[in-house]
Amino acid sequence: MTLDWSVVWQHRDALLAGTATTVLLTFATMAIAVPCGIVVAVLRLYGPAPVRAAATAYVELFRNLPLILVVFWAFYVLPIWTGLSGLSPLATGLAALALNVTAYNAETFRAGINSIRRGQVEAAMALGMSRLQALRRVIVPQAVRRITPVLASTWVSLFKDTSLVSVIAVTELAYSAMQVRAQTFRVLEMLTAMAAIYWLLGYPQAKLVDWIQRRYAVTE
Amino acid sequence: MDFDLSVITDHARFLASGVGVTLALAALSGATSLVLGLVVALLRLYGPRGLRHVVVLYIDSMRAIPVLVVLVWTFFALPIVTGLTMPPFAAALIGLTIHLAAYAAEIIRAGIESVRPGQTRAAVALGMSPAQAVRRIVLPQAVVRTLPAFGSLLSITIKDTAIASVIAVPELMRQSETVAGQSFQPIEVYTFAMLVYFLMLFPVTRGVDRVYRRVAHLGRS
Repeated sequence: MTLDWSVVWQHRDALLAGTATTVLLTFATMAIAVPCGIVVAVLRLYGPAPVRAAATAYVELFRNLPLILVVFWAFYVLPIWTGLSGLSPLATGLAALALNVTAYNAETFRAGINSIRRGQVEAAMALGMSRLQALRRVIVPQAVRRITPVLASTWVSLFKDTSLVSVIAVTELAYSAMQVRAQTFRVLEMLTAMAAIYWLLGYPQAKLVDWIQRRYAVTE
Repeated sequence: MDFDLSVITDHARFLASGVGVTLALAALSGATSLVLGLVVALLRLYGPRGLRHVVVLYIDSMRAIPVLVVLVWTFFALPIVTGLTMPPFAAALIGLTIHLAAYAAEIIRAGIESVRPGQTRAAVALGMSPAQAVRRIVLPQAVVRTLPAFGSLLSITIKDTAIASVIAVPELMRQSETVAGQSFQPIEVYTFAMLVYFLMLFPVTRGVDRVYRRVAHLGRS
């Protein structure tokens, strides 16, 4: 077994570009999935019955599907549904990730709001607050404490899950590394480099999640 | 959009074999990661100090690296290191176990830590050895309390087996890709696969919730 690690440095541009795409996908997906998750959660909690049922069905469906299947499905179905034949793999991958993470976020927001006991709103209204004031000043500040740690761990899962869009040729980190592997046949070097880059980026994030969870721990 | 379901019925046996492999891989990797996770959790809590750091590093690393990367590395790179080639199923089983055991270990650790230390002290005061106290007082309560978390881990396990399609394990995802490619009817095939995965996963999450509501009182103290 002869190893040639210089291959990693030679292809640093491809790896760097892939890493940038991975980070971009993570941020873009969350930027879509947080507001959409709030909308879905609110529809599920306060919408009229048919809307509530539809929102629940959406959340339950996408939480119970493997993401890799959603990615493939989006790749073939989205161009037909939207009529856009020129949809790029990146846009398709982003849509699949957003569909998935929105469902998880919606559940997080719903659980966060539901975890605040009813009596608190009643107490706030008894003190003369309006319903909106009670929501803004009593429910939301407490719900945020419970939602933030969950969102943080969803973030890390999302960062890792972006690797799955490599199956539809989005040139993020996993795809780029495996491309170089196929061109150079330096399998062990490139796959180890890929794992190392994910580790370098993901490890601090995992530690940050632990810190957030300790900081926001709710004790009752 | 026409929906032609004959592609499903024509390949029913082929797709069903994929379901079988998916369930087998999920059951096996679920069992092995549970065993490895228990060992890792016990080492983290009660092991020698030096080893504890290694175990924490392992757990946090698995939380940082995508399961796709672990699977691809196990299948393509590990044989270069060890000199032993592995069939895809074995590589998937090893990769998934290494990955999921870290999560199992964290769940078990949280369960054990949730049992108040006074209980262990009381058990020791009653004449039990520390090992007995862990086995007879701490673990039985921890098992019940961690049931919901293990339910979602089982659901994650089934979902992660789909990623083994990348290393050509003939499970449902892979078989669907093959049928979709041959028949040129990806929409029918993938929509059908979605339905099958949902039918496998939804009862798991619901079933565990239901069981937990029955036995939750056993974990209280």
